[in-house]
Amino acid sequence: MIEFKNVSKRYSGNQAIDDLNLTIPTGDFFVLVGPSGSGKTTTLKMLNRLIAPTDGNIYFNDKRLIDYDLTQLRLQMGYVLQNIALFPNLTIQDNIAIQAESLGWSRKRRIERARTLLQQVDLDPDKYATRMPSELSGGEQQRVGIIRALAIKPKVVLMDEPFSALDPISRKQLQDLVLRLHHELDMTFVFVTHDMHEALRLGQHIAVMRLGHIQQVGTSAEIMQHPANDFVRGFFENEHASRMVTVQTLLDAGYGTPVTTPATLSATAPVRELAAALQTTSAVVVATPTGSQSLTTPDLLDYLATKEAD
Amino acid sequence: MQQIMHILQTQGGDIVHAIGQHIGLSLISLLIAAVIAIPLAIVLMNHKRAANVMLQITSVLQTIPSLALLGILIPIVGIGTIPSIIALVIYAVMPIFQNTYSGLTTIDPNLEEAATAFGLSRRMKLFRIELPLALPMIISGIRIAMVMIIGTATLAALIGAGGLGTYILLGIETNNNALLIIGAVLSAILALVFGAAIDWLGRLSFKKVGIILATLVVLIGGFAGYRKLVKPETTITIAGKMGSEPEILINMYKDLIENDHPNMKVSTKANFGGTSFLYKALKSGSIDIYPEFTGTVLESLVTGQKSASHNPATTYRVAKQALKSQQQLAYLKPMKYQNGYDLAVTKQFAKKYNLKTVSDLVAVEDKIHAGFDPDFYQLKDGYPGLSKAYNLKFASAKTMEPSIRYKAIANGKVNLIDGYTTDPEIQEYHLVVLKDDKQFFPPYQGAPLMTEKLLTEHPELQTTLNKLAGKVSTTDMQKMNYRVTVKHEKAATVARDYLKSHGLLN
Repeated sequence: MIEFKNVSKRYSGNQAIDDLNLTIPTGDFFVLVGPSGSGKTTTLKMLNRLIAPTDGNIYFNDKRLIDYDLTQLRLQMGYVLQNIALFPNLTIQDNIAIQAESLGWSRKRRIERARTLLQQVDLDPDKYATRMPSELSGGEQQRVGIIRALAIKPKVVLMDEPFSALDPISRKQLQDLVLRLHHELDMTFVFVTHDMHEALRLGQHIAVMRLGHIQQVGTSAEIMQHPANDFVRGFFENEHASRMVTVQTLLDAGYGTPVTTPATLSATAPVRELAAALQTTSAVVVATPTGSQSLTTPDLLDYLATKEAD
Repeated sequence: MQQIMHILQTQGGDIVHAIGQHIGLSLISLLIAAVIAIPLAIVLMNHKRAANVMLQITSVLQTIPSLALLGILIPIVGIGTIPSIIALVIYAVMPIFQNTYSGLTTIDPNLEEAATAFGLSRRMKLFRIELPLALPMIISGIRIAMVMIIGTATLAALIGAGGLGTYILLGIETNNNALLIIGAVLSAILALVFGAAIDWLGRLSFKKVGIILATLVVLIGGFAGYRKLVKPETTITIAGKMGSEPEILINMYKDLIENDHPNMKVSTKANFGGTSFLYKALKSGSIDIYPEFTGTVLESLVTGQKSASHNPATTYRVAKQALKSQQQLAYLKPMKYQNGYDLAVTKQFAKKYNLKTVSDLVAVEDKIHAGFDPDFYQLKDGYPGLSKAYNLKFASAKTMEPSIRYKAIANGKVNLIDGYTTDPEIQEYHLVVLKDDKQFFPPYQGAPLMTEKLLTEHPELQTTLNKLAGKVSTTDMQKMNYRVTVKHEKAATVARDYLKSHGLLN
């Protein structure tokens, strides 16, 4: 269990975190969400003491964080960075096993562990283990970034906006992946995002932050049904508004196949026009600035299914 | 080109030796610089202010001209290899430090944060992440330093550390472009080869580079230590200035001493440097004996004797006295030849007008078109004094570069030039030197210069070296210089031939 008690952080007069009180249950998938400047990343980085609080205390399993040996503490906490930050000079398996190396694991054991983890995230170890990070796509790199944080079976995994730089399809796949990993592993996940949609999709508990203050902590249902204040409600309305989707939204989400046949629908048309068109034919050709794209009934259903799952 | 090939064939061994010296000097300096600069950059990577101060210091050191730096070092550490290495290290520290520092401090802060957040130890972070990431920068710093070192190491020849600079200096000194080209081209090739080697190192993994560097350090260190151990105990070191003539002389000294005293070992250091380097080396005990000219002693080494006599015997006596009282140096008896200014004409010209002495020129002064070196044209001891002493006024007198004079007279552009009495070109271009019958030119006679202390410890040296007193005529010296400079024979061979043919060796 992690507890923040009256924690504040000031940067030369600027109050980044103000009297924060927060409890993160063991084994939870806990999401800190808020706009930029809300203090969510600062809160996360205080957990592995990359940032020290100005006031107050943080407890990890009832012991003050500052009473832990720093290295010991950090070796109990996996960390996934926003821009992935794989070490470009190390192979994928060496990247995954860097904390294990620090703990003095034998090379054989480290390689074994790295290969197991690669398998777990559907990356073929024979193909990927000895590659360099630059040879991987962004999505593949962040998979490695995630399993690197899991390599020494930490008690807590901290993730700082890990998917914000990814394309929508990779992001969705990786969200599924962390959900699955959380389900399989007995670890506490603390996840920072500015994307309310992502927070609702992932979090067992969600803390909505703004300007260094917690606005509301609760499950996604609680927050959606009973927003604590106008700010939280406003955050959601944006979320709802974004669901007034056009055909372009589907294309943005990665659906569609490029074709050369003439288009019958504009990309700015509402999704219901696409649905209407798909009632009479199995594929509709949409005009986009970069060429025609074909959308099928399964595309639409797949898209709606993921939306509804939220 | 033909000359270059000839030199390469006849002096191949010496050149290889010089390349070896050059490489040794460069590598040792580079390694020392790297061993200083890289750890320093690692220590200072998290202390921005101290690192900036350090960058300033190294940049200032960089701006000191290399010659000035050598000059500063000589009184402190003497001459030879050590000051050269110190100077080279001082130059090489800055590029390596600067590149290592910026390599280490410009690592993506996200990678730094990741390494920190993973709880990596300081050591592991440094060796596993930071140094490997900074390695390309470090390697390029080492590369810059290496090119600089190989270039600057040519100056080491000035202070007796040898290397390819010897050929460059010798080439300049004796106006021998072939030597100059050999020295310059070989140093350029060295820089290229080492640049390629360093690039190759840069492509290896961090671990392999470490192993190779460590091996190099051990090998060079071991070799230096081994040389130190097995180097025979030399009792006497004889050095000479740049050029063939001093080299011939010191080989004569060596042969005479080793012939008379089989228990004494002599090591020679040819082309050791200029007058002031040799003089300082003698005073500091780095060398024991070197041949010096009487005129040079009065001109530059002792004080208060500016108005030297034009009589060779008086000049020698005054020089010897002054050296003894002012500097506690012993100056043995001079040889016969004089290496001073002279006037030379072609054989045909001398025959046509029956010219033997400078005084003979007065009769034909309106037919003389002279080519003089700029110094000679201006100095009191040169043309102005000469024309007053002999009451001479040539039809024309042009100044020209020393190197061009001999060609100019050979091509008939001028019909009289100044020169040095022992220049081999006199023989090469079939010239005649006119006798300075009024003894106008200051006498420059060569004689062995050593400390009084050495002479007190080994009084037998006086008898041995004075065997050369009054020997070696100007023509002898010209011929020997010709054999060494133009024919590229070994100075040691030429020296031994002379001693044998004059019955000075048993």
